Amino acid sequence: MSFRTASTTQQRQSLLDLQRTQERLALNQVRITTGNRITGPGDDPTASASILDFNNSIQANTQAIRQADSALLYLRPSEDVVAAAINDVMRLQELSVGGSFASSAELDAIRNNLLSLANTQSAGKYLFAGTNTQVAPFKDGQPVLWQGNQADISLSLNANASVVTNVTGDEVFLGGKGALPGNPNDIFQAVTDLKAALSNPGNPALLQAASANLDAIFKNLNDVQAKLGGRQAGLTDLQSTLSEFNATLAQLQNTQAATDYPKVATEVAADQILQSATLSTMAKLGKANLFDYLT
Amino acid sequence: MPGLNASLYLGLTGLQAQQSALNVVGQNIANVNTPGYTRQRAELTSNFSQADGQLYFGTGVSLTAVQGIRDRFLDLQIYRETAKQSGAAERFAGLNAIATSLADTGATGIAALVQTFFQGFQDLSAQPESSALRSNLINKAQGMVTALQSRYQLLDDQRNNADQAVKSLVTEVNSLTSQISQLNLRVMAESSPGANNDARDQRKALTDKLATLVGINVYEGDKGEYQITLDSGSGTLVSGSSAFDLSTLGGAGLDGRASVVLKLGTSTIDVTSGIKEGQLGAKLDLRDNILRGYQQQLDKLAAGIASQVNLQHTKGFDAKGVQGTNFFLGAQGPYDAATGLPPLPPPPPNPLGLPSYSSGDPSQFYRGMVNELAINAAIVKDPSLVAAAGAAGAGGDNANANALASLQFTADSGFGGTVLGSPYSTVVGSLVSDVGNRVQTWNTQATAQQNLVLALQNQRDSLSGVNLDEEASNMMTLQRGYQASARFISVINQLTDQLVNQFGR
Repeated sequence: MSFRTASTTQQRQSLLDLQRTQERLALNQVRITTGNRITGPGDDPTASASILDFNNSIQANTQAIRQADSALLYLRPSEDVVAAAINDVMRLQELSVGGSFASSAELDAIRNNLLSLANTQSAGKYLFAGTNTQVAPFKDGQPVLWQGNQADISLSLNANASVVTNVTGDEVFLGGKGALPGNPNDIFQAVTDLKAALSNPGNPALLQAASANLDAIFKNLNDVQAKLGGRQAGLTDLQSTLSEFNATLAQLQNTQAATDYPKVATEVAADQILQSATLSTMAKLGKANLFDYLT
Repeated sequence: MPGLNASLYLGLTGLQAQQSALNVVGQNIANVNTPGYTRQRAELTSNFSQADGQLYFGTGVSLTAVQGIRDRFLDLQIYRETAKQSGAAERFAGLNAIATSLADTGATGIAALVQTFFQGFQDLSAQPESSALRSNLINKAQGMVTALQSRYQLLDDQRNNADQAVKSLVTEVNSLTSQISQLNLRVMAESSPGANNDARDQRKALTDKLATLVGINVYEGDKGEYQITLDSGSGTLVSGSSAFDLSTLGGAGLDGRASVVLKLGTSTIDVTSGIKEGQLGAKLDLRDNILRGYQQQLDKLAAGIASQVNLQHTKGFDAKGVQGTNFFLGAQGPYDAATGLPPLPPPPPNPLGLPSYSSGDPSQFYRGMVNELAINAAIVKDPSLVAAAGAAGAGGDNANANALASLQFTADSGFGGTVLGSPYSTVVGSLVSDVGNRVQTWNTQATAQQNLVLALQNQRDSLSGVNLDEEASNMMTLQRGYQASARFISVINQLTDQLVNQFGR
């Protein structure tokens, strides 16, 4: 049994095969030059959706890392300020022990320094003003005037995590949240009280009370410093984790999106052979004809 | 016994028959590359014998028919499958052209820009005092709106292109159906079935072409005439010698585009949804269903973002301590207080002139939302009006910025949770996946149909196509037959000469 083949059939079939080979070659050329396996969503819809998911996750993690950076922009200087305040308090404690060596000028300088620390700014906002960040939280006076508020500034990192980026001035410098200026644990009041005690050596109870207050302030500042340090450590850990996670995601995404060069190069080589063979066959088929043998 | 004259006549029939058959071979060779041509075969039959006593002497040969070698059922199958193939190819081409942009998974895609917009709120939440970050947020919002609108416009352009193509395709269809009906007339007038091969071949070639343009069903009547209906059966294009024209009615279709009607005398019937395959069916499908569906998804996405952001934004306070206004506006004016959505001009199909956001015809929900979407001009002019604070009077308050940023993660990402019902990233992911799947499906289907049509065409060619080797072989055979007949006549001529001129000398 033989299958009758019309003269145009071979041509039509070969032409279609040739076109498909050329289409594959063109597509693989794009894959090689761009490095992307997927030239359009129709190449692999499932992978396209996965790539989008990976992109979203990477972008969200990158944003979370940036948010953490923003939080650290306030937490680090806040901790530095608290550390400086601790140093000042330690000096005050020394002065309260060896009181005779204390000068009024030094105590005034320490108080001014503490006031300056309490009004520290970072990236355009007062660090210890609560959310009232545009106004200096402490104004000099006896007692000092507290102009901030007790609001926490919470920064969302991602869908599940957020961090408080501030400690309020009352918590740091007035002895605790909600504490009012002039109370014994007010750091500025403590300097004033120490100055009064030192100028009144006949009343050792005043000095003892001032010293005790400084101990309480010292403890409070240490607690705040630990809190700030803990937050920063958490953020640094989160950044590290998210960076590693992003690297993994990028790697996974790459397996979906990137061109498999050995595979594509092999396909290109095979298609080039196929194209060459098809062209050769088409040319030969056109030549072989009974009419050529008729005289 | 037949005389010499009878023998001469016998030889003559041989000459005539071989020459006629050679003519058929010549016709086949001449049409080897003619689209739709069906090879012909000369039917040679020996003439009736002449009785002479107990003996019967032949009287030569006659060409009784020139037969086209065709399989009409195969033809009808090819018409049907050709329409499906061209429909799938057209859908693939139409969708593939916009797929890369619509389903961009990169940094300039819709998904990335929507996410970037919400991250603008996150950036602002870190430093709500910063006017630079407020401006940055507005730029990101503008980027998102532009991205949505450019994709929407791309879809609109494709729909308009399809609409234009529908009009020109209808003209082509009418031209073909008119010619086919004329050829039907010639086929119906055949002296015997299949006698008018050329009319049938021309009709086949035209019907092949018609099938690429429009989905059709073809039936062959008793007299060989074609009856052609639309593939859904909703209208007749050709019936015998009559052709029924299609025409377009501008503005009568969906979204003010043209509808396709079939003229039946003085009346017309709307067949827009009755054309399923072929280029015309595919263009209508792209225009009215596929691309429109993606526009609806973008409208819904824009509505979800606009409504939820507006509702949250109005809960906050700007840098001056004033309660927030709506962040997004429609181009037509302020947002609808009841729905939180930007206003729309009344959609044309809505006679009541009411915005149809979530009631009435579902196909009209949020229609035109993307085109209407704009950032409140007052906020663009004065970024301090971005309501980042949760309470009035504290410049560092970022509570509302946090809440706005968190909208990207919530499943209730629309007004009352009903617009989208899932996070924006999921909605855009579904869109990308859907576009990709459709492109792949139509590509696969177009390829499969192309293979099927090719196989059917090869099958038809194996029966009806011209093979030059075969024709050369036939030509040699007929040439030899002609030469032998001529030789026979020459011999009879010599015998006659012998009898008339040489006998008795």
